[in-house]
Amino acid sequence: MTIDADTIRHLSEASVSVELETEDMTLNIGPQHPSTHGVLRLVARVDGERCFDVKPVIGYMHRGYEKLSEVRTYPQIITIVNRIDWVSGYANEIPFLAAAEKLMELEVPERAKYIRLILTEMARIASHLVFNASYPLELGAATPLFFALRERERVLDLLESVTGGRFHPNFNRIGGVKPAYAAGSQTRKWSQDLPAGFLEETRVAMDKVSVAVDELEDLVADNEIIVARTRGVGVLPPEVAVAYGVSGPNLRASGVPFDLRKNQDYLPYDRFDFEVVTGENGDCWDRWYVRLLEIRESVKIIRQAIDSIPSGDLQAKVPKIIKVPKGETYVRAENPKGEMGYYLVSEGGTGPYRLKIRSASFSNISILPWILEGILVPDIIAVMGSLDFVLGDVDR
Amino acid sequence: MTSSPSDTETNETDGQETEPTEPEAHPLQEFADRVADAVGGQAEIGFDTVKVRVPADSWVDAHRTARDRLDMVFFSWLSAIDWSNEVDVGDPPAEEVEQRIELLSALSDVTDGRLVVLSTELASDSPEIPTLVDVYAGANWHEREAYEMFGIQFQGHPNLIHLYLPDAFLGHPLRKTYPLLSREVKPWPGKVDVEAMPETEDSDEPSTENPEA
Repeated sequence: MTIDADTIRHLSEASVSVELETEDMTLNIGPQHPSTHGVLRLVARVDGERCFDVKPVIGYMHRGYEKLSEVRTYPQIITIVNRIDWVSGYANEIPFLAAAEKLMELEVPERAKYIRLILTEMARIASHLVFNASYPLELGAATPLFFALRERERVLDLLESVTGGRFHPNFNRIGGVKPAYAAGSQTRKWSQDLPAGFLEETRVAMDKVSVAVDELEDLVADNEIIVARTRGVGVLPPEVAVAYGVSGPNLRASGVPFDLRKNQDYLPYDRFDFEVVTGENGDCWDRWYVRLLEIRESVKIIRQAIDSIPSGDLQAKVPKIIKVPKGETYVRAENPKGEMGYYLVSEGGTGPYRLKIRSASFSNISILPWILEGILVPDIIAVMGSLDFVLGDVDR
Repeated sequence: MTSSPSDTETNETDGQETEPTEPEAHPLQEFADRVADAVGGQAEIGFDTVKVRVPADSWVDAHRTARDRLDMVFFSWLSAIDWSNEVDVGDPPAEEVEQRIELLSALSDVTDGRLVVLSTELASDSPEIPTLVDVYAGANWHEREAYEMFGIQFQGHPNLIHLYLPDAFLGHPLRKTYPLLSREVKPWPGKVDVEAMPETEDSDEPSTENPEA
């Protein structure tokens, strides 16, 4: 029997003209699911293969850091805040310190600023590499994971050699960075420095990371399945993104060239030459690609910082017991996930009166009900994964 | 100003710099005034943060104006401060304060990175304010958080239910009168520094000096 094209057209027209009685189903995803990077629950209404009315349920990781901060001293809070977004723990400490230092009117020594900047960019590379490992995996491509995590280990090893911690460095001090006792001699002075050979090793590591970025691009960018699953899926228009407070690479993927490193002064980024990477369509593919390209920009920044790092002290003079003068300030920083900021209200005591923590992932996933409306069920994972959130950063 | 006349003669730029006698305006002053004029509030700049106080009844209008006329399209966050002299946790304010809830929202542009914190004051016992969801869709979750943490009722909010806490949770944890329960059960073990600070080891100073005592 032969089938001619006319018959097929006729059949397909017939099939759409029939009104099917379908029943909505409620689909529960999580709270434990590999794509949620923590514990996030989604409750969706499903009509056939499309989902509507998605309700994210968060709070499984709520640790009450804002309340806890009110009974801790400033140095103790540094340990708390680097547990917010644990994939880039180092970067979380910076805006908090910048806020406290602003109220204390402390000038951080130049060398400490450069060390903070280098380590922040390394945290960004590590975070973006985790995304580049996990996102293709969620779409079914396992190989990029090994390339990305191998390089991430390289970066984390360097971070560990300076700070002593891979995930929770707790390395910054108000007014500077921690002197590295263990790495130096036994003089027990406050003037110990970066471990010997760190800058050279970092330079080598950055070369290797750049090669890996090229490899990842070759592996993923031309992969037909990845392109089919991400191009034009989960499109986020810029005007919706800003109204929800979506920031960081997710906002830039929608074509908004907004990067707080370019216009805030929490670290001396204005001395370095780097580009703000933006996407065109704001779809999943752009969100993946922007993060890949941002690794290259971070490598550029680190190379320039290594070339120009000044020598000098690591720590400004601070009293033994840190008291922050009365005042209020909001300092925000471009973290790997987006805008992270701290609204610090001090009443002159050893701890804050109120600390509002603005975390990037919280606003970034508040977009989920909007962006998941009417998409196909398998695309939920593609869209969620592309937003690159960490539940610790959502729930605080 | 203390420079000798010969200095000012040889260096013209020095002479120009010493002319203005009034204190230099903050670089954000012009921006702060512009926002305050547009939204009808009072601006203050503290530590590079522009805060504009608006009356509670023009809260929503102020946000709409900021979004439409000042390009403050980016909704950064919304939260509150419980100002109270009677605190169950932490230290009370340095001076007597008027008991109130201060509601804050941070708006930004997406070009120059300018940010303004809008602030209004609500009664502590039954704080109520219209919702911002119609102006900024992102206010939805932030208002739910402020609702459960401070007990602020956002009138007209489409879904004012708990965000983080279980549905049956009683009380508003970020109120100053709400005790930190784990601290009640077990005293904070970090209250005493058990390890000596390296630089004080050789001195006679007691190393267990407690900043909170």
